[in-house]
Amino acid sequence: MTARRTEILYRICWTVALLLLAVPFVFPFLWMISGGFKSTTEIFGTPTLIPRIWRFENFVEVFTYQPFARQYFNSLYIAATVTVLTLFIASLAGYALARIRFAGAGLLMLFLVMALMVPEEVTIIPNFFLIRAMGLIDTHWPLVLLPVFGPQGVVATFLMRQFFLALPKELEDAGKMDGLSRFGVWLKIALPMSRPALAAVAIITFLHSWNLFLEPLIFLSSLEKFTLPLALSNFNDSYGLPLWNLQLAATSLAVVPILIIYLIAQRQIIESFALSGVKG
Amino acid sequence: MAGKAFRDNAARAAGAPWLTLKTREMLEAWLFVSPTLIGFLIFFLGPLVAIFYYSTTEWNLLSQQATFVGLRNFHNVLLENPDFWHVVRNSVIFALGLVPLNMALALSLALALSRPFFGVVFFRTVFFAPVVTSAIAWAIVWKFMLQGEGGAVNQMLAWIGINGPNWLREPNWAMAAVIVTRVIKMVGLNMILYIAALQSIPRDYEEAATLEGASRWQVFRMITWPLLAPTTLVIMVLTTIGSFKVFDHIYQMTGGGPENGTLVLAFYIYQQGFKFFNVGYAAALALIMFVIVMALTLVQVMLRRRDME
Amino acid sequence: MTKVLLKDIRKNFGTVEVIRGVDLEIEDGEFVVFVGPSGCGKSTLLRLISGLEHISDGELHIGGRLVNEVPAARRGVAMVFQSYALYPHLTVRDNMGFGLKVRKVPASERARRVSEAAATLKLEPLLDRFPRQLSGGQRQRVAIGRAIVGNPDVFLFDEPLSNLDAELRVHMRSEIAALHQRLSTTMIYVTHDQIEAMTLADKIVVLRDGRIEQVGSPRDLYDSPRTIFVAQFIGSPKMNILPLADGQPIALGASVPATATSVGIRPEHLSLGQPSNSTLRGKVGLAEYTGAVTLLHVALDGGQTCLVIHNQGPAPETGAEVGLRAEPGHLHFFDKEGRAV
Repeated sequence: MTARRTEILYRICWTVALLLLAVPFVFPFLWMISGGFKSTTEIFGTPTLIPRIWRFENFVEVFTYQPFARQYFNSLYIAATVTVLTLFIASLAGYALARIRFAGAGLLMLFLVMALMVPEEVTIIPNFFLIRAMGLIDTHWPLVLLPVFGPQGVVATFLMRQFFLALPKELEDAGKMDGLSRFGVWLKIALPMSRPALAAVAIITFLHSWNLFLEPLIFLSSLEKFTLPLALSNFNDSYGLPLWNLQLAATSLAVVPILIIYLIAQRQIIESFALSGVKG
Repeated sequence: MAGKAFRDNAARAAGAPWLTLKTREMLEAWLFVSPTLIGFLIFFLGPLVAIFYYSTTEWNLLSQQATFVGLRNFHNVLLENPDFWHVVRNSVIFALGLVPLNMALALSLALALSRPFFGVVFFRTVFFAPVVTSAIAWAIVWKFMLQGEGGAVNQMLAWIGINGPNWLREPNWAMAAVIVTRVIKMVGLNMILYIAALQSIPRDYEEAATLEGASRWQVFRMITWPLLAPTTLVIMVLTTIGSFKVFDHIYQMTGGGPENGTLVLAFYIYQQGFKFFNVGYAAALALIMFVIVMALTLVQVMLRRRDME
Repeated sequence: MTKVLLKDIRKNFGTVEVIRGVDLEIEDGEFVVFVGPSGCGKSTLLRLISGLEHISDGELHIGGRLVNEVPAARRGVAMVFQSYALYPHLTVRDNMGFGLKVRKVPASERARRVSEAAATLKLEPLLDRFPRQLSGGQRQRVAIGRAIVGNPDVFLFDEPLSNLDAELRVHMRSEIAALHQRLSTTMIYVTHDQIEAMTLADKIVVLRDGRIEQVGSPRDLYDSPRTIFVAQFIGSPKMNILPLADGQPIALGASVPATATSVGIRPEHLSLGQPSNSTLRGKVGLAEYTGAVTLLHVALDGGQTCLVIHNQGPAPETGAEVGLRAEPGHLHFFDKEGRAV
């Protein structure tokens, strides 16, 4: 009886501790949304979680202060493009590395591991000059090219490779016997069976691109080309001080949809990150 | 040899493809990896080699001319400019603060949340939520909450009678604030890696130890912790490298300030390269960062190898 | 006319040679079984014939055509895999029709051939199910159906029954035998199970370390094994091999060839007799009663253990002194290299 009571007590203590610990993880989101509805005066007054006056105009001004709708769209289509391209390129390379014995595979793997570990900050200077030489400054090209071929693309390649390695090889042999080419085996057998891996790659790649900051900061200069993170950091007055209520309203608009998707698909999303981390 | 040549001819005559199956397979493989390979050469290996070149030049902004200056950039970085050592100090403090805090918290959370019980999914979802949030958004909200006057954090502290500092305006507090908010942002990732590792440990070990009378702490100390060692090593290296890469968080929360109190390596490279246009100097910094990251990776590989023996 | 001809076939992975020169002729319509212990190269040899592995050296002819460099799908062969290798994302119908679809066979023709094959194998009720909804035996049958649909010149089977339980294995074995009788197509079958080999084969190929040890009909191999290896591999329980030491009273009335150093005798060809008037004497160490027969482990006076199948009357107690009698016509003599003499 006492053992059971200790167990219950133990659990209650844990739960209370976890609840307290959860505050700094949850509160910022609530505070962000609440701040987005406040007026400038209320922002600097004594703070309350529920705004005394709900100022919905903030969410209109967000769109008039800078081309926020356009910027939102930029982030969306860039992330989608990066995701599709990464899925294609990474699954091709991952397949070859997992399944075809070819001279040079080992060396290629070694280089890719290196690319995985080296931060973008190391190569960003030469890449800037390269992009400039290509005449692609202030375009979205570098925001597509650098992530697809950078460390994030390598993560995707390794994830796909890992998954392909675990697929039963006899299925692909059967495909070859049935007359498929290498490409056919990849497209018609390996890919349809890799949906979990493709979903994981899609999730982490999309989020990575969506949250990308250094590259947009360096390559973009016109407001209507900005992506979301860059736009968010740009809600400042003429003195460079943040326009808190607008900034928080815009941040809510950027973060809440992702959070909702996360809450719906949390299991799948968390697993995707676990997969990509384990292999690293 | 003659026999083989004859066979090849015969094979061709029989309608077989011109290339041997083996050669074809090889070509196919390279075709499959070619997009990755080409991108890798252009956007990674090329630039990596190029920073060696850039780091030995001085860039003239007006004429767009590069002058070869040998090792002077390194001389400047390491000996002339006191900023560099200040930045290294900041980066080390940042790493020393972030890595242990992150890992200890991640492991504690994982231990609490690796077994099914009421609320596990809720808590996992909560602790992981900042990971999927953009670093800029996270930094914006925390900067808002950490204002000296009217900030939510100080307001809460006031309830329990503490007069909070102006967090982001004092160098030491700013560093602490940046570390803690970064830990909260990223701890969920390490937490799920630990949970995955914990769940792959067979329960038999713990049950056997419990039957032999081991306490919870002994089970952890003697069984769980040693079995987690490979995971701990990977997490430690990844988190350390991650701490040297931190950029957007610093950019948005403090901009490297106050008084360069949170000026860390990645931000310093950005500042030198893209704000002050000291391209050669920034390239030298990038090269130093490359060496640090490679060294950390090597340490991990070596430790892992020793582990396996 | 689909003869399969292997001329000095070799295969190496890196520096390891796994197939070391195999010469073999397989007649049209023959059922050939490759058998041998694991690692002997039997599956590799099958994969070389299928085209799933490249041949390092030698010539492979199928139906009179040199096919070394012909891709797998154009060799006119079909393969049934150990794990069945059914595409999990396709129905049984689509699995069976997949190869035809790839080869651009028109849909109507495809449907006809799939339903024909399904009728042959009684698969009609399963056509719209997915592989995960099938039992092991059903999957096996679908895998065979997929091979039939392509109407190949040669069927290849890679240990097709090893994932089934014992009862189903016996059943599917007879189905495959019936299939061969009906189609009379050339079939090449790989197994490590010598009973499967004996029951199915027209011709058995015993492989060892990448080389052919012996080729022959099941009866050939059983009656006149050319080496100790084959002698012990074919037949169950294993043949007893006893050394022909000086003075060992084993000749049992037969004439012993001069170069022979050991003699083999199958357990089923030994019978019990009185210790006093037998040439071999020993003590019963273990008696395994299986119902029909009793398998006796007899520890001979010379120190070896000898297996005896006893099927007449009650078996002797453990520890009993027994004498053994062998039928002279069933003795196999081997020289010191292990070759039959």
